[in-house]
Amino acid sequence: MKLAFVVQRYGLEISGGAELHCRWVAEHMKKYFEVEVLTTKAFDYITWKDHYPRGEEVINGIPVKRFSVTRTRDPKRFGRIQNYILENEHRLEDELKWLEEEGPYSPSLIKYINEHQNDYDYFIFFSYRYYHSYCGINSLPQKSILVPTAEHDPVIYLKIFKDLFRKPRAIIYNSVEEKNMINSLSQNMDVLGDIIGVGTEIPSQFSSEGFRRKYQIGGDYIIYIGRIDKNKGCHKLFDCFLRFKDEIGSDIKLVLVGSNKLKIPSHSDIAYLGFLSEEDKFSALEGALLLMMPSFYESLSMVTLEAWALRIPVLANARCEVLKGQCMRSNAGLFYENYEEFREALGLLISSPGLCEAMGKNGQEYFRQNYTWEVIENKYLSILDQLEKEK
Amino acid sequence: MTDKKEQKKFIKKEEINIDYDNIDVADIMDQIKRKIATQPIKAAEGDLKNEAFYSSFGPSPAGPEEPSGTKAKVKKLLLRVMKPFSPLIKVMIFPVHQETQNNFDQTNRRLDLLNEKLEGELGKIHEKLDHLNQATNKRVDLAFEGLNKALEYTKLLHSLSHNIVVELTKLKIEQENLKVKIRIMEKDFEFLGRKEKAIEKEIFK
Repeated sequence: MKLAFVVQRYGLEISGGAELHCRWVAEHMKKYFEVEVLTTKAFDYITWKDHYPRGEEVINGIPVKRFSVTRTRDPKRFGRIQNYILENEHRLEDELKWLEEEGPYSPSLIKYINEHQNDYDYFIFFSYRYYHSYCGINSLPQKSILVPTAEHDPVIYLKIFKDLFRKPRAIIYNSVEEKNMINSLSQNMDVLGDIIGVGTEIPSQFSSEGFRRKYQIGGDYIIYIGRIDKNKGCHKLFDCFLRFKDEIGSDIKLVLVGSNKLKIPSHSDIAYLGFLSEEDKFSALEGALLLMMPSFYESLSMVTLEAWALRIPVLANARCEVLKGQCMRSNAGLFYENYEEFREALGLLISSPGLCEAMGKNGQEYFRQNYTWEVIENKYLSILDQLEKEK
Repeated sequence: MTDKKEQKKFIKKEEINIDYDNIDVADIMDQIKRKIATQPIKAAEGDLKNEAFYSSFGPSPAGPEEPSGTKAKVKKLLLRVMKPFSPLIKVMIFPVHQETQNNFDQTNRRLDLLNEKLEGELGKIHEKLDHLNQATNKRVDLAFEGLNKALEYTKLLHSLSHNIVVELTKLKIEQENLKVKIRIMEKDFEFLGRKEKAIEKEIFK
């Protein structure tokens, strides 16, 4: 069997959720099938400008075919169109215009898929909201599998996506909440689907002590790992954390890891470390008291799974249904809807090492049961097996 | 300092019952919510902060209740009615000094002069407009006359055409009748010719 993984960007240096998800699944499926990746030459997810010069290369043993983005995204224009379609009555053509503007607009990728459809058994599309998934699935629904990586953001309610979720042969969801949202939105219960998610790659060597020495971090700290961005709720995290410090007088620190798109408050107990290597990231996570997840929109949150894999509990934003659901299913994280709940939950976790330990243990168990690569691979194999039987 | 000590009570874990062998986060969160609900509401500053934080997480909690009763309703209604006049009321309650009064008088005189000028100009414009109107009316009357004549001619032409068509139709029918008569006469003539030949034969036998 030959599988094509179709994704908006692909590369070892790309750490975006869906892209990393795609790469890891592709690399694990390589054990069972012939695998290829079809993607664009883009690196920057804002403009999708061509970055990779070569059309073909091999990454970790997987052939990667890259196609040019013929029209880059103009963020201002895109913002205008998006605001218009989200705030006004509009036509289907407006939504298609939005989709083209969102990109990555690469008709050559779609042309390749159409012309070489007989070379592959299945095309696995990642991220429902981009041009490649919409056009690819519409032109080849009988061979399409969709991994939506959908969050509860307003664009999912566009008419074009309602139909899109009914078309592929199968859909691989990241969480129960994502499945429920898509099912209720498009009534696609008859489309084969399973909640699979993604595993994680834990480096063989990492040390929290080494991390503390290297970055001179002393005492207890909580950690946030990910893009430091308003969309991820980081500004609210800063507000809550500083108010917590002010009210409680705790000496807890907040360590921030990831690329920064937001002004970080200048405070002696907030340490921004920038983008770290995987070893340093896991070292930092292992030494933390808990992982903070202030994001409003998540499809799965791989970093949450990584924390649980290391027995670290999570304090998540309850406004994100997926995070709240994951915390409740795993019993490995608390969640907050407002500052008072944040204060009480964080205070409880700080003052109760036994609770952190017990929740960490639950998290690790939840991870073992649902998110080890063995489990993930078997679920993918089962889906493909069912599709083969239906042929 | 006392405040901080007082606030530290929020993180006392004893107030939350936890079964460490069987953690239930939903239950822990319920206990936290109940605990928050029983905490006294803080002073004004705290309230303001709370409001800001609530608004940042979503819809803010209900504000203080407004006074009820007929008096309050009347007051509310009056405030709503008078709202458009509030700038004027504000101007009226300002103290008017002599200098300001003089300025007002000067401005009023200037306005009167401007008003007179404006009225004169408007009168001239009206006159011009009347002339234009009369000329336009004459032209319109002429145009209507021509139009009516054209209409009559058209009617006559239409009637004429109709009559010609009727006459032509009659002539056509007449022509057809004559053709039929000619054909009958030809046949009669042919018959008479044959009869003549037959009689001649009988005579000259």
